[in-house]
Formats: sequence, structure tokens, C-alpha cells
Amino acid sequence: MNKQDVLKLPSMPLQSPTYPEGPFRFFNREYLIIQYRSDPQAIREALPEPLEPAGDVVAVQWLDLPDGEGFGAYAATAQIIPCTFAGQPCNFVSQMYVDNAPPLAGGREIWGYPMKYGKAKLEVHGDTLTGTLHYAGQQTATGTMVFKHDAFRPDIATQQALLARTQITLKVIPDVDGTPAIAQLVGIEFENVKIHGAWSGEARLELIPSVNCPLADLPVKEVIGGLHMVTDLTLPYGRVLHDYLA
Amino acid sequence: MKVEDILKLPSMPAASPSYPMGPYRFVNREYMIVTYETDRDLLRAAVPEPLEPNPDGHVLYEWIRMPDSSGFGDYTESGVVIPCLYQGEPINFTAQMYLDDEPPISGGREIWGFPKKFAYPKLEVASDTLTGTLHYAGQMVAMGTMAFKHQVAPGGVEATAKAMTKTQCNLKIIPDVDGKPKIAQLVAYNLTDITIHGSWISPARLHLIPHVNAPVADLPIKRIVGGKHFIGDITLPHGRVLFDYLK
Repeated sequence: MNKQDVLKLPSMPLQSPTYPEGPFRFFNREYLIIQYRSDPQAIREALPEPLEPAGDVVAVQWLDLPDGEGFGAYAATAQIIPCTFAGQPCNFVSQMYVDNAPPLAGGREIWGYPMKYGKAKLEVHGDTLTGTLHYAGQQTATGTMVFKHDAFRPDIATQQALLARTQITLKVIPDVDGTPAIAQLVGIEFENVKIHGAWSGEARLELIPSVNCPLADLPVKEVIGGLHMVTDLTLPYGRVLHDYLA
Repeated sequence: MKVEDILKLPSMPAASPSYPMGPYRFVNREYMIVTYETDRDLLRAAVPEPLEPNPDGHVLYEWIRMPDSSGFGDYTESGVVIPCLYQGEPINFTAQMYLDDEPPISGGREIWGFPKKFAYPKLEVASDTLTGTLHYAGQMVAMGTMAFKHQVAPGGVEATAKAMTKTQCNLKIIPDVDGKPKIAQLVAYNLTDITIHGSWISPARLHLIPHVNAPVADLPIKRIVGGKHFIGDITLPHGRVLFDYLK
């Protein structure tokens, strides 16, 4: 392969790039989001400077992604910390677990999504919308929510506002000698968001301490409630908000 | 989290880095390597300039069992290595790698540019046969078999240890947040502190099955050259930039 073609590769390996060029459109992307009150000191420690905490309510979310362009079918669990950057409200994505390598590698390498390999699942069991996460063979999180109790609520402004918020990731990529090559805060905004349905209701959340999947490091003090929605949306490229090496 | 702590992070996520700082020590690392001859034009296309593929058209198809790897854990790997020349010096280029453990996938890609994907490789002794398999997305894509310890490798463990010091390299590609290349380098490294416990050669066969996302069969088998089996302890240190495509 000649040098010009090397520079056109979207990703490694040369013979079969792990992920193609973006942007990436997701169809029927389903969310279970459980908001809960946690410990303000633990939140402060989990947020990289210069991000500032915005209250003590954080979220664990499950995503079922049956049709992600370039990525395939998979599921994810994420921990989200609302914060402010230069006074603007944002969501810091602090941990993510997925069961599929292309979004895992692409997520880390393009945007700095903090992804590890975990077996996330979001499904309807009888009357219960159920999210589970297994890491290294052990269950580390369980979220449950009532199924579409407010099916006739017309207003989905809350959900729209939530998906419109800037997401922030801390992208860290080492150099070949182990020193940081990239250390940035990256801002990401979804595009062309279409909400097929959105519901809210009672929810419960259990986080189990695990050293390599430490969701429980932001302990559950009080569950606020659950949000359930089905969407189509586009994940575009991001932008550098802050460069720690500049 | 303070700026000085952010700059000390070995990897993402800040809450629980995928992999710690290197170097990385591997104990009882077991290799099965089947060498075969392939099509020279296809081999040329699989090797990035300025590397030159070996003139014999040889490819190494490998399975590596790694039960005890510092920072990474217990996992297995399988993949394609192409002997090359860089400025006339012999060097091994890692073309494809498949493994079943996320920290060495993320660390491998992000530090050295190992071209790693998630799949299920296995290396085991099944009665009289050393057997390697690779499943990708639910389908078998490679199966290698080797007779079990028929003959000690020529030169014994010393010769195998010396061969393991050969320079190896990867094509490291990391995009920027806008999708443009941020890092595009050939990265070289040399294993250190090598102790080989045993090394054998035996007859071998290899079967590669076409698959779009695990294209091990894209370098077709024309002739099997032979199989090598060895077990050792090694250290994988950080690497060095051999060639920078962006400069």
C-alpha cells in the first residue's frame, strides 16, 4: 500500500479497517436513563478540570443499538455526570461499556468515549424495562423501570433538551513511549434527532462495586426516576473544547 | 480531577484506566506459528510503504496463548505477521490481530498501533494435535493444526530466544476528532528479557476462511512451509517511531 492510501485509512488494520469514516447514523436507538442523587465529593473527583459539577444528580443509562451505521448491532451502558464548561450546561461521559469492537475502538480513538468491553443488555421482561451489565463475568449493574406508564403524555421537551445537550469526553491517547500524545476535552452534539417515543416513570438502580467497572464509585443515594425513549440520531465528529497539552 | 492527574493517566477512562503504564511482562506465553507462502502481489498490497515484503512471499499465521500478562490478564490472540524489510533490515510487520480481551486491544492499538480487533481465538492441545482456532462474529475464520512436539527446534531455546529479539512494527493510525489522521506512523519495538522454556518444530496445516471483517484468507495459502511451537517469558516495552506519514 502506498503512502497516500495509508493517509486515507479511516482506522487500523490496513487490510480491514475496524470502523469506516463518519458520521454515523443510528436507527431505533433505545435508551433507558436512570437519574439518581449521588455523593457531591465523589462527583467532584470524577470530573476533570476545568469542568464544574452541576448539582448532585447523575445518570446511568442503557442503550440498545440494533442498527448503527459502520458499527452493527450492540448494546451499551454509560455513566453520565451533568456539569458546566465555561458556564454552559453539558454532560460528561465518565464511563461506557459496550460489547462490540468497532464502536469501542472508534469511540475511544475518534472522540475519546471512555469505552471498555462489557456485556450490556436492555430488554423488556414481562412488565419491566430491564438493563443489566456484566463485566468480566460478574453482574455490576441492574436498572429497572416501569414500561410505558405515561404512554399518552404529549410533551417530550425534557427528552429533546437532554439529547440536545453537549456531551463531553476526556480523550487520552498515549504516545509510543507512554507519555500523552492526546489529552483533550472533546465536545459532541447529536444531529438530526428524531424521537419516536418517550416515556418517564418509576425506576430502581443497583450498582455493584467492581474494580475495573467502577460505576458504584458514584453511589446511589436516591433514585429520581427513569426515562425511556426510542430515537434515530446521527453521531457526527467532535470538536476540541480544551487541550491539556497546548 | 486535577490537570496534573489528568496528564498522568495511562489511558481512558479516568475513572478506571483500561490499561496501566508499561512495560508489560508476559509469563508462560505460548506460540504456535504456521509459516506459509502466499501470492506476492497480494502481499505487496498488504504491506504499507516504505516497508518491503520479504522476497520469498512468506506469511506467519500465529496463535498466542497469554495466561499471565501484567496489566492485561489472561487472554489469547491470533493473527497475521508479514516478514518485511525496512531500509534493507529485516523487520516483522503485524498485519492483523484478533483477541478476546479489551485492555490489550485498546492498549495495543493506542500505544503501539497493533491492528487489533475483538474475536475468539483458542490455542489448545487436543489429544495428539496442537490446535488453534479463530472465531469472528460467530463464524470460524481460521484453523491451524500442528503435530505435538515432534522435534526440538534447531538451535534449541537459545536460537528461538535470539529470533524473538527481531524488530517488529505496526502501522499506528489514530484519527483526530474531525476524522482526519492525527497519528499515522510506523511504530517499532523489540521484546526484552526473553526466556524460552521450550521450542519445537513439527508438520503443520492451516485453513483460512474468507470473512469480510476478519480477512485472514485475503493472503491465500499456496504452500505450507512449517510449524513452530514455543513457550517463554517476555517483556513488551514501549515503542519508537520508525516512520511518520504526517511529516
